[in-house]
Amino acid sequence: MTRSRREFLATGATAGVAAAALTATGCRRGLPPFFEASPAGPFRSPNTPDVLTHVLRRCTFGLRPGDHEAARSAAGSPRAAAQAWIEEQLAPERIDDTDAQRRVRAIQGLDWPLGELYELKKDVLRHDLAKAALLRAVYSRRQLYEVMVEFWTDHFNIDISKGECAWLKAADDRDVIRRHALGRFSDLLRASATSPAMLTYLDGRENRRANGAFRPNENYARELLELHTLGVHGGYTQRDVMEVARSFTGWTVRPRGGFRKGVVEFHPEAHDDGAKLVLGRLIHAGRGEGDVDEVLALVAAHPSTAAHLATKLCRRFISDDPPASAVAAVAEAFTRSSGDISATSRALFATPEFLGQAAGEPPVPSKLKRPFHYVASALRATDAVTDGGAPLIAYLAAMGQAPFAFPTPDGYAQEAGAWRDTLLWRFKLAAALAEGTVGGTRIDRDALVARARGERGLMTHLFGRSPTATELDSIEAVADRSHRLAVALAAPAFQRF
Amino acid sequence: MKHAEPGTVVVVFLRGGADGLTLVPPVGDDDYHRERPHLAVTPGAAVRLDGLFGLHPALRGLEPLYAEGLLTVVPACGSDDDTRSHFEAQDLMEQGGRNEAGGFLGRFLRARREGGGPLPAVAIGASLPLSLLGAPGAVALRSIDELSLGQSQRPLVPALRDLYAGDSLLGESAEEALGALQTLERLQAEPRRVASGVAYADDDFSTGLSLVARLIKEDLGLRAACVDLPGWDSHALQAQVMEPLMRSLSTGLLAFARDLGPRLGHTSVVVLTEFGRRLGENSALGTDHGRGSVMLLVGGGTRGGVQGVWPGLGPSALEGPGDVTVANDFRDVLASVFSRHRASVPGLLEARPRAAAFG
Repeated sequence: MTRSRREFLATGATAGVAAAALTATGCRRGLPPFFEASPAGPFRSPNTPDVLTHVLRRCTFGLRPGDHEAARSAAGSPRAAAQAWIEEQLAPERIDDTDAQRRVRAIQGLDWPLGELYELKKDVLRHDLAKAALLRAVYSRRQLYEVMVEFWTDHFNIDISKGECAWLKAADDRDVIRRHALGRFSDLLRASATSPAMLTYLDGRENRRANGAFRPNENYARELLELHTLGVHGGYTQRDVMEVARSFTGWTVRPRGGFRKGVVEFHPEAHDDGAKLVLGRLIHAGRGEGDVDEVLALVAAHPSTAAHLATKLCRRFISDDPPASAVAAVAEAFTRSSGDISATSRALFATPEFLGQAAGEPPVPSKLKRPFHYVASALRATDAVTDGGAPLIAYLAAMGQAPFAFPTPDGYAQEAGAWRDTLLWRFKLAAALAEGTVGGTRIDRDALVARARGERGLMTHLFGRSPTATELDSIEAVADRSHRLAVALAAPAFQRF
Repeated sequence: MKHAEPGTVVVVFLRGGADGLTLVPPVGDDDYHRERPHLAVTPGAAVRLDGLFGLHPALRGLEPLYAEGLLTVVPACGSDDDTRSHFEAQDLMEQGGRNEAGGFLGRFLRARREGGGPLPAVAIGASLPLSLLGAPGAVALRSIDELSLGQSQRPLVPALRDLYAGDSLLGESAEEALGALQTLERLQAEPRRVASGVAYADDDFSTGLSLVARLIKEDLGLRAACVDLPGWDSHALQAQVMEPLMRSLSTGLLAFARDLGPRLGHTSVVVLTEFGRRLGENSALGTDHGRGSVMLLVGGGTRGGVQGVWPGLGPSALEGPGDVTVANDFRDVLASVFSRHRASVPGLLEARPRAAAFG
């Protein structure tokens, strides 16, 4: 936060030169110097999970060695420590994240203005976007923010294999999703609606007023209501979809071939400027590009939107089948705060359903990590040094969750059922990580075991509790140390959070 | 036999733009012989399919499949991409449309959420083709070695089996994954076995298909497979370019069909190419990029015969600089295949009223 962009660029350039020099002399082992893991001391994880363990597991891409101790030392009780940690994470701009930022800035181009992004090769950019997402999940100290970024990336899903979406999503990722991930939902929705990537992905750029046989394109209007706001049973009709589509006519994106490519424009001559009736509300004729704001204000404030978003948030943070009481509390917080995402999240994290107070002890880690979460958590838990490069992205693709590659607008599923069949690749990755055969990624197993004060300590760290007798029997029966780490990373307890 | 139903879609992509007029020559069409004085297949040489069409003699191996109703031929087939660019046309075809997200097989696999299994999709080669983009669990491989855990990791299997035993959420999936790993390891160790009387060629295409057949026969839940046969860009000396490729294609497809035995009934092989070639010959005894080519479907449940509309090759029937008109949209043909596999593929099956014509 204290360093200017110029300084960052200078650092990056110097590091690049240094890395090149090292390559030339043959000393470089895959990664430039500032990518080396910082030396870290011994750590201890609690044998019985407390509420802090639970909160850290649910709100991050997995615990790094020592995360629990660090958070615990900041306050008296585990509950108070969890509270303090949540508050800290809800203000991500105050958390120094220089390390993760440097790693991402080393990827050329992601911070370029929209028009210049087109200079990047599409395939390279597709890979770089995935790599940046993985590096942030692994290295960012703003973990809750990154989890929310992932949540909204799914909610406003854009598949970068469609048309110009690779270039445009690079801008959407930073200017829409990352800018507003903990901000106000109405701002996020407004930014998404006129994001060139979304206008491309859901064909809004082709949406023009009725003319002869041509009708307005309903694609965005339908997904806006069905997925982004009210939800499929949220109380809208086909008529509402058509009226929303009319309201959005005339917005388009300048094509790749010409000047100012990727720039969003409103073309009044393509806009249907008649009156519309949306969800029972009259939108007066002659409002032009103002229709968008009226429609979005209407749907963002709709009670079905609060319920839909609360359900999805609770599904992510509480349970695949979230309890109605928690959903109601979160929906109420959303409405009361006029869609403030931080305030809504804070309310969620205070529900007894999230904290497991109803049962008197922290909830068991019942949710299945999705592949991206699994990969990031394995790298974090082992303090791996990684470039987030192609081999890891290939594993993610094999597990069916390469970033920004879900074809349909509903985004990657949250529920366990969608991901059970990915175990074969999780086993293969666990084995390869432990054996050190994933290109661009290294784990110092011996140092890790030493820091955890033995293999049992490491298991306690990985599983969030001390290993059961069965776990000890199964794992300790394996002769080879690297195999034992592989089994622990592949174990069912490490698949859950 | 848990994954025996509902079968596998195998996509064979003839990259480079294969000349449909040579693969399945309209030997009963006078315009064909007039415009291809050096390259036309003569009526006597062709394997006759009906009064109009024949197979090139190098595809003679497919004759018994045609006779048994296991081969459907769709001439004048292609996409609406008229750039005649390999890159553009292949992309459009593999995405299943101009403005689609993911590949058509990726969407197929996403659409069928039930019964995934540990190994839903493979591509034979070094990387995944665009058609599999977005497919969960899709993997590119050149041999089974790349799939298994490997000899050194064998001790992991019993430990994981213990750990997952009785896990209500993951136990069954883990058992399947571990079973698949063991099956793959066994396949790796044992010599390739094919059904008696089956003769694969000793080339990459046959090797790829025989690997796919092994995976299908082991019931690993394979839903989609991609095998490329590249090299069809016959701008010069077309016969020399195409004949070895056609022999590969013919031998491989026949061996694959016979190797699968009864499983062919649940398998659909789709052979496609990004575009066909110009009707007129060029000065190098080759042909240049054109439009309509041919699609072949092999498998149980396909309709058999020559299907679709034939636009003819008269001057008024041609498109652009003298190319076979695309009278049959490849997406209609794909849609007929996917409907057999009970999957609605977004952007592909919707609004494809003519799909039934190829089923």
